[in-house]
Amino acid sequence: MTALVADGVTKRFGGLTALAAVSLDVQPGEVHGLIGPNGSGKTTLLNMLCGYYPVDEGAVRIGEEDLSRASVQRRAAVGIARTFQKPRLLPTQTVLENAMLGGWRDTRTGFLAAALSMPRVRAEQRELRDRAQAVLEGLGLGYALKRRAQLLDHAESRFLEIGRALVLRPRFVLLDEPAGGLTGAEIERLGIVIRTLRDCGIGVLLVEHHTEFVFGICDRVTTLNLGRMIRHGTPHEVRHDPEVIRVYLGS
Amino acid sequence: MSGTSLRPMAGSVAVLVALATLPWWAGDQYQIHLAALIAAWWILVAGLNLVVGFGGQLSIGHVGLLAIGAYAFAILAGRHDWSPWIALAASGGLGGVCGLLLGLPSLRLPGFYFAMATMAFALIVAELVLALGDLTGGGVGLSVPGFPEPFESPAGHYLLMLGIATIITWCAWNVARFPWGRALVAIRDNPVAAESVGVPVFRMKLAVFVASGVTAGLAGALFASLQSYITPDTFVFELGLFFFVCIIIGGRGSIAGPLAGTAILTALPELVAPLAKLGTLFYGLLLLAVVLLVPEGIGRLFQVILERLRPRETASPVLEPDAARLAAAIRRQERP
Amino acid sequence: MLGVLITGLAIGALYAATALAYNVMYSTSKVLSVTTGHLAMLGGVFGAWFVTELGWHPVPALFASLAVGAFAGWLTDVIAIRRVLARSDEHLWLLSTLALATIVQQGVALWWGTEPKPFPRLLPQDFTAGLADQKYWLPIGTTIVMAAALELFYRRTLYGKLFVAMSEDAFAARARGVETDRLRAISYGIAGALGALAGFAAGQLTFAFFAVGLTLTLNGFIALAVGGLGSNVGALVGGAALGLLNAFSANLIGGEYQNTVSVGLLMIVLLLKPEGLFGSRRVRPV
Repeated sequence: MTALVADGVTKRFGGLTALAAVSLDVQPGEVHGLIGPNGSGKTTLLNMLCGYYPVDEGAVRIGEEDLSRASVQRRAAVGIARTFQKPRLLPTQTVLENAMLGGWRDTRTGFLAAALSMPRVRAEQRELRDRAQAVLEGLGLGYALKRRAQLLDHAESRFLEIGRALVLRPRFVLLDEPAGGLTGAEIERLGIVIRTLRDCGIGVLLVEHHTEFVFGICDRVTTLNLGRMIRHGTPHEVRHDPEVIRVYLGS
Repeated sequence: MSGTSLRPMAGSVAVLVALATLPWWAGDQYQIHLAALIAAWWILVAGLNLVVGFGGQLSIGHVGLLAIGAYAFAILAGRHDWSPWIALAASGGLGGVCGLLLGLPSLRLPGFYFAMATMAFALIVAELVLALGDLTGGGVGLSVPGFPEPFESPAGHYLLMLGIATIITWCAWNVARFPWGRALVAIRDNPVAAESVGVPVFRMKLAVFVASGVTAGLAGALFASLQSYITPDTFVFELGLFFFVCIIIGGRGSIAGPLAGTAILTALPELVAPLAKLGTLFYGLLLLAVVLLVPEGIGRLFQVILERLRPRETASPVLEPDAARLAAAIRRQERP
Repeated sequence: MLGVLITGLAIGALYAATALAYNVMYSTSKVLSVTTGHLAMLGGVFGAWFVTELGWHPVPALFASLAVGAFAGWLTDVIAIRRVLARSDEHLWLLSTLALATIVQQGVALWWGTEPKPFPRLLPQDFTAGLADQKYWLPIGTTIVMAAALELFYRRTLYGKLFVAMSEDAFAARARGVETDRLRAISYGIAGALGALAGFAAGQLTFAFFAVGLTLTLNGFIALAVGGLGSNVGALVGGAALGLLNAFSANLIGGEYQNTVSVGLLMIVLLLKPEGLFGSRRVRPV
């Protein structure tokens, strides 16, 4: 099985070292938690896995394929999907259209084919729409397909972003604080979704502050502090690590 | 599906029939000329709309591409006696090439830089038209031939332009409704999200920009032959502003809005004399009012009102994921 | 050759002053206003109106022109910036300032006419001075004084320091109780006065002409982008470089290619050093 690997990744902003030689791997069919105090480098690491920042040292790989220099788009094309801390949707587009955007990598038609409405374009659109609709119905958003995204509430926006990521047919999904702003009941439903992804063989990287949620759902957890990894292991090991308790969990 | 799309389709056909028979029911030649002018502007605006309204790239200098198309047609068909049809195609092609040359360095720049680059391009074209007098006739201008029979008469010329405008509208509508155009809207509304699913942002911006260059070149050629004489004064920077205002007022992300905007803004100063005197000041006031009061454009305003009138859903259903269905949906997407 | 140099520096000074006005507004709002060049145009047109048509002495005419510029700057903030910034759509301010610039330009064209009108002599000097003529050294001197005064303002006064704080982190400034809305309005007023001062000082060079605004919006921006957005030293260097390039190219290949040459300079600089000569490279935000 091929894993998504960050191998000794280092990132500096000016004189500040945001990440210092951090290593981490996400296996297919695993939920991997990434926790740590604010400013510890969690989102920076996520952005580097997706290609928004170039790595200064170290490498990002899927299996043997080196992605360290690959563009954001290339990484999407090999199956890395993500959500954002603050949902980034297209406010004027419908829920279904937002989710369909996730299927971009499966469209093979360009500007001219679209302008001339070639049969291939129409077939592609139909296929994409069916797929996106099925995913949204599975997420429980079936009732809102035609609603414009700016009319969604917060939980619906978060789920729609996950839907968009799933329509990409991802091998790995990176979730940036998906439980942020959700109620207890909604977090439970988010848990159902994440477990389903795992059961389908998708590797999930979960960046999250809600520690109960992380320890309850993750197979492994990595803890960062000030850009360094301080503990890595099963939820049980991490939760009882004195260093993690000191810098993050508190007693 | 068919129930919802049939009515607009019937409406479009009715409008098209009305427009195609215009030469037989129009009051005078002037109305036909005005309709032809609207068609010429719309051919340009339809392409520009993909750049501005869908892609979100604020180009205020498309008048430069229009001038290039107009002068190319005048020089090739007028001076070098090319067939007008080949000259028309060449004008569109040259517009596309110039769009590529302008887009390559400027489309990577942030918004204000891009707008300034397009404005500078329009000023450069105006400058070169005057400087290269041997080619362009300088300040005196050039006379422009028309099209052969049956497109020689004003009515024939109008119908030719209506035909081209219809094809281009159809193409723009196709781009807008298929996933390619949806991704273009994503570039406008949220480029970071677009990138994250693999949308090649720069390449797509460049593609629509080149397409808008082609339509601007075609519009220039058709406009020039409609006027039968062009001078540098025809292609002032304010004309580029006018195209831009048509789109913003009509509403971003719509085809019908900018079409209506182009028709109304072209016809209005011709019909209401005081507005003609105000000229560009009127467009400035209109643009400011729209940006401050209805930034989505007047077209969107109607849509919002319609949405308000529709009965509201009483209770929002609960967001309840279904693990089995979700798993089935994910597995179904997997390919061997 | 000296004549070309002086002409280039004089017109470059006007570009530099426009770039300074861009910077003053940018520092508090992160907005590049299309109206910037038009503020200078107002200084020239109103200066000529006060002195030539109303028969005022140049000194009250200068202060009245500054007041007009400051008012126009403040109006830019009230009409085109304040409501739009709250909506946080990055395109809207471009549209609103473009609309306002069009209104100002066309309004002046309707009122003042579309022909350039001569700008009056400000100091008693006959026309035999050649290169020592006031039309050259007035804009150069004014821009140098303006840049020095801005530097003192930023370093020594409370308001200046607040501007700097706001340009570095507007959010933090607001959190510490700085009235950012009022500061922005003040900065737009200052930029308007600076622009009008530059337009007034260079009036004998540009004439009182409605179309000067758009030219300055473009060339001031090129000076700014070449020198580096946000840097006042960059604005001076960029303005001087652009003015000299324009003057020398007009001397060598003729004046018909001014815009082409200016944009060529811009493209080369953006290609080699996208942040400009004195600009700071920023990290890409996600």
